[in-house]
Amino acid sequence: MNTFTFERSQRMFFGVLMGIGLLCAIILFAQNGPLHARFWSDVLHNSVFFTGIAVMALFFLGASVTAMAGWYTVFKRVWEAFSLFLLVGIILMVFLALGNYLGFHHLYHWNDAESVADDVLLKGKSHFLNRGWYLFGTIIIMGAWIYFARKIRTLSIQEDENPGPDFQQHRKIRVWAAAVLPLIGFSSAATIWLWVMSVDPHWYSTLFAWYSAASWFVAMVALTIMLMGYLQSKGYFPDFNRDHLHDLGKFLFAFSIFWTYLWFSQFMLIWYGNVGEETTYFLTRREQYPVLFYGNLVVNFVLPFLVLLRNDTKRKLGTMFFVSGIVFFGHWIDYFLMIKPGVLHTTMELSGAEGHGSHALGAGFALPGFLEIGLMLGFLGLFLYVVFWQLSKASLMPKNDPYLAESIHHHV
Amino acid sequence: MANQKEVLFGLYSDEEVLLKAIHKAKAAHLDIMDVFTPFPVHGLDEALDLKESRLHIVGFIFGLLGALTAFLGMTWIFVDDWPIIIGGKPYWSVPAFIPITFELTVLFASIGMVVVFYVIGGLGPGVTNPTLDDRITDDKFCIAFDQHGLSEKDVDKVKAFLKDSGAEEIHTKTI
Repeated sequence: MNTFTFERSQRMFFGVLMGIGLLCAIILFAQNGPLHARFWSDVLHNSVFFTGIAVMALFFLGASVTAMAGWYTVFKRVWEAFSLFLLVGIILMVFLALGNYLGFHHLYHWNDAESVADDVLLKGKSHFLNRGWYLFGTIIIMGAWIYFARKIRTLSIQEDENPGPDFQQHRKIRVWAAAVLPLIGFSSAATIWLWVMSVDPHWYSTLFAWYSAASWFVAMVALTIMLMGYLQSKGYFPDFNRDHLHDLGKFLFAFSIFWTYLWFSQFMLIWYGNVGEETTYFLTRREQYPVLFYGNLVVNFVLPFLVLLRNDTKRKLGTMFFVSGIVFFGHWIDYFLMIKPGVLHTTMELSGAEGHGSHALGAGFALPGFLEIGLMLGFLGLFLYVVFWQLSKASLMPKNDPYLAESIHHHV
Repeated sequence: MANQKEVLFGLYSDEEVLLKAIHKAKAAHLDIMDVFTPFPVHGLDEALDLKESRLHIVGFIFGLLGALTAFLGMTWIFVDDWPIIIGGKPYWSVPAFIPITFELTVLFASIGMVVVFYVIGGLGPGVTNPTLDDRITDDKFCIAFDQHGLSEKDVDKVKAFLKDSGAEEIHTKTI
């Protein structure tokens, strides 16, 4: 089966997921807590998380093409489809940026003119953290990502029809793939500062962009593994064998450790330096979010480390599916933990709400509630809908990719 | 010497031919003693039905030992034996112990694996291993059969197999 059919039942299923998400979004908005902070922070959380997965797919595709890797070619259409979620991602992020620009939400303390006026730190950062740059920076950077994602996709599909003499078409893809690496490498850091790190506008960490990009990356690999398991059970990708799974498992394992390394590097330097304006980030999370704070490390490091350490667990689809599911959810929690405490703080400052225990702000901030999970399922449905739709638009096997034969005979 | 072996072996110059020959030998129920190649050949382990190496279990155990040594050692030194306040931190500062715990884990695991590999492989200072042919460390691939207990008819059968499967040279050697 070289062409993918987006079945009616799948459309229905994703439709239901999106329906659940939309319903949860409406309930969240109707709850009318202080400044609708719960609704907006949930939308930010999920938009950033799924946009990041799409960017990392594009980045990894670019890195693999540039490195002349051959192992992934049988399923490279999946990553191409992932990267095209950016088309929806830009709508979500521009929605948020417009909300910020027009003052519909108050996720960011630096967006409040009064607070900035008598705050020397926020004033100093206002050249970067301002509503104009948030909106146009998002559009410019994401526009560039989309341009590259579409370009690489188009060239890859053209290669199916006409590879040209002497791998001409593939050489063209190589140029674009190499160019996308520095682009995403630098610009993803800027977007993470804008979208995520600036919810704690007084705080900064030079490692933060790496750390959250690693989180995106692990989530991307985990989602790929789960999706490949599903697609294989439907009879697609017969050439995707245990060795490809093994390699994806190695990436999941290695990048879980990489994520932990960055998490710890950031934590230890701040702990050691013990500078008040830096430690506040970890202090808030450790004191007020102890379950998520330590659970984050257990789920995203200890569990994948111990399970994926052995050779044979990386070759079993069942085990891999299970671990990927947990790790995917774990990194979603990681983003929850990056965004929520800062938003909670800002909301309390701006709305004058009292204390952390206040009921209106406790729900959906201390722990992800059912509405948060429902909204996440909605975004997942949207993501997979776009991926399946893009998969159905091209052949599943890149026919004339010069590395296809190597990939089919991949052996570790 | 008592455990000397009379070995009948064939030399091949291509790993594809070698792999095919091994599959043929298995089909003909010939008992291969060993295969020598100058570099790792993909699919050879499966073809010979070799068991997975258990060396990585050794690595895990030594790694665990290293982690415990480092962590408990530092705990004893900094809490009990010679407590010093450093940077206003408590005596038992787990984050500060993590990098050294990591280092000793890696150190113990790697050195432990190397030592165990040498001991199990019977390698050590002064040990020489007889080779069937020096070229198997360069560009020749070798399938070796133990002639012990083989009747003349069997030996002829093995020789015929080696010839048919593409061996360029067939020799016997006592090692």
